[in-house]
Amino acid sequence: MSGEIRGSGRPAPEAANPPIKRLTTGSRELDEILEGGIPENSLNIIMGEPGSGKTTLAEEFVFANADDGRPILYLTTLSEPLDKVLKYLQQFRFFDAAKMGSTVQHDRLGEELAKKGVGALHARLKDAIKTMSPKIIVIDSFKAIHDLAKSTDEMRLMLHEVAGLLAAYNTTVLLVGEYRHEDIATFSEFAVVDGIIELARNALGTRDERYLRVFKLRGSSYRQGFHAFDISPAGVQVYPRLVSPVEATSYKRDAHRAPSGVPGLDAMLAGGFWTGSSTLLAGPTGSGKTTMGIQFILEGLRRGERCLLVNFQENPTQLAYQMAEIGGKLDDDARGRLELLYYSAVELPIDRIVVSIFQALQRGAIRRVVIDALGDLAIAANDPTRMHDYIYALVQHFAVRGVSSLLTLETDPPIMASDASHGRLSHMTDNIVFLEIREKDGTVVRTLRIAKARGIAHDLQPRELKIEAGGLRVGKGRS
Amino acid sequence: MGTEAEPREKGKAIILVIDRDPHIRELEVHFLDQAGYTVAFEEDGNVALAQARKIVPDIIITEILVPKLDGLSLCRELKADPRTRDIAVLVFSILAAASRAREAGADAFLLKPLAEHTLVGTVRQLLEARGARIRRAQDER
Repeated sequence: MSGEIRGSGRPAPEAANPPIKRLTTGSRELDEILEGGIPENSLNIIMGEPGSGKTTLAEEFVFANADDGRPILYLTTLSEPLDKVLKYLQQFRFFDAAKMGSTVQHDRLGEELAKKGVGALHARLKDAIKTMSPKIIVIDSFKAIHDLAKSTDEMRLMLHEVAGLLAAYNTTVLLVGEYRHEDIATFSEFAVVDGIIELARNALGTRDERYLRVFKLRGSSYRQGFHAFDISPAGVQVYPRLVSPVEATSYKRDAHRAPSGVPGLDAMLAGGFWTGSSTLLAGPTGSGKTTMGIQFILEGLRRGERCLLVNFQENPTQLAYQMAEIGGKLDDDARGRLELLYYSAVELPIDRIVVSIFQALQRGAIRRVVIDALGDLAIAANDPTRMHDYIYALVQHFAVRGVSSLLTLETDPPIMASDASHGRLSHMTDNIVFLEIREKDGTVVRTLRIAKARGIAHDLQPRELKIEAGGLRVGKGRS
Repeated sequence: MGTEAEPREKGKAIILVIDRDPHIRELEVHFLDQAGYTVAFEEDGNVALAQARKIVPDIIITEILVPKLDGLSLCRELKADPRTRDIAVLVFSILAAASRAREAGADAFLLKPLAEHTLVGTVRQLLEARGARIRRAQDER
C-alpha cells in the first residue's frame, strides 16, 4: 500500500484475529481474572445491589486510566447525587485531585434526562464524543434511566441508538446499575453489552463476604466463578479464586526424598516422602499431628530449605515456643528461612487465606509447606465443594513447584471426616498417614499407619508412636 | 441516500465517505469537516462509484461491508478506471482485512472503531502523497 499508512492509535493488523487491547481495572488481580483487563472499545455493565462497591470499582478504573491523553467522562444520572459521589471518592488513595476537571470530568445528567426524556442521553453522548473525545465513558446509574422511560419501546430504541454510537467510536464504556439477577433476562442492555461484572455480598455467620463474578466477556476468556474481594482505602482488593495450574502435574517425581524428621517414619518409607509430594496426616485430637508438622518443618530447616507453616490455632509466639521445645532454639539463618502464616479461620474467608498461602509460595523459593489443619480451613469456607476445589488447586500448585507438603486433618471431632469428604481428600494427596489413639493391654497408646505412599514400597504395619522430648518417634515393634 | 459534495473550494479537498452505519457516517463527516475538508457520503457501493466518476473526489473512505457493491470491489473498479485511479482509497472497516484491501489496490487501511486523530492523520498523509504524485506526473509531462 502506498506510503504504508497506518494509524498510530489503531494499527492495521494483518492477522485475521487482531489482539484486543485491554485497559487496566486498577486491580492487578481483577485484570488477571479478565485475562488482562477490560477490552478496549467495549460496552460493559457493572451490576450489584446498593453498597456492593460498583461506584468504587468504576472510579478506580477511571483513575487507573487517567493519563495525560484523552479525557474520561463520568456521568451521574438519578441515583447518587454527584456531590456525594465526589465527597466519598476523595477518601480513596487512587483519587487524584490534579486529574479532576481536566482528565477526569464528572457531570450530571439527571436533570436533563428528567426534562427531555431518555433520548437526552444519546444527544449528550454524541456531543461529548464530538467535543471532548472521551477515552472512557461511565454512566452511573444506567439502570435508573429505566425509571424515566415512558415505555419499554422508548428505552429499547434509546439503547439501540446509544449502543450503536458507542460501538462506532473508539471509547470504552461502563454502565453501572443496581441490577438484580432477574433483570438480566428482561433488560435489553444485558444482550447488547460485551461484558458483565457482578458484585455481590453474602452474609456468612457474623461476617459479610463480598464476591465478584464475571458473567460475560465477549471475545475473551476469563476466570469463571466467585472471587472474594474487599474494599479498603486503597480501593478494591480482589482475591482471585485459586485454580489448578495450567501446567499438568507430573507423576514422575524427582529422585530426591524429603525426610519427615520423625525418627522411624522415614525407615517405613524407604527413606522418606518423595520431594514434591503431598501428604495427608489424619488423626484425632492429641494424636500428634501438630508435633509431626513441626518436625517436618524443622527437618526442612535443618536441610537449608525455605519452609512455610500455616497455622490457625497457635499464634507465632506459641508456635515458636513449641518449636523450641521440639527442636531447640532456631538460629538466625533458620529463622530467616521460616515463614509463619497465622490466621483466625473465624474472621477470614477461605479465599483470602488461600491467596495468602499462594502469594507466600510465589514470594520465596519455599520447599516445604505444612497446613495445620484442614478442618480450620473448612470453617473459613462456606461450602465443602469450594473447600475441596481450593485444596486440590493448592496441592497441584505445590506439586508443580516441587514443594513437599503436609496437610493435617482432624478426625475427632470429624469436621470434615464424613465418608464423602474424607474420600475426596484422600484422593488429592500422594501419601496418607493415619495417627490413632487406641487401647492396648489396658494402656492407651498412639499408633501410626501409612495407608498410602505413592511410588514407595512402604511398611503397611501400624507402629507405636511415642512422644519424647524431641518430638514423635516411631517404635520398631508392631503396634 | 447520500449527500452532494459542495462545489470544490480552491485548496479544499473533497472526501467521499461510504458507510451504511449512520453513527460512523455522522462522526466521520463531523471530524473530517472539522479538519477542513469538504465531505459527501453515500450508503451503497454502486451509487458511490457513479458519484466518484462524477465528482472525482480526492479521497474515498469506504467500509468493506456496504450494499450493492462491496468496498473492495468498489476499490478495484476505481483503480481500474483511468478517470478515477488517482483517487486515494482508504478502506475503513470493522473487518481486519488490511491484506485484502492492499490486494484490491487500496492506498491505506484502518480498523474500526473510529479514532478521529488516526483518521484525520491518515487522510492528511494520503492527501500529501497524492499531491506529490500528481506534481511528479505534471513535472514529467
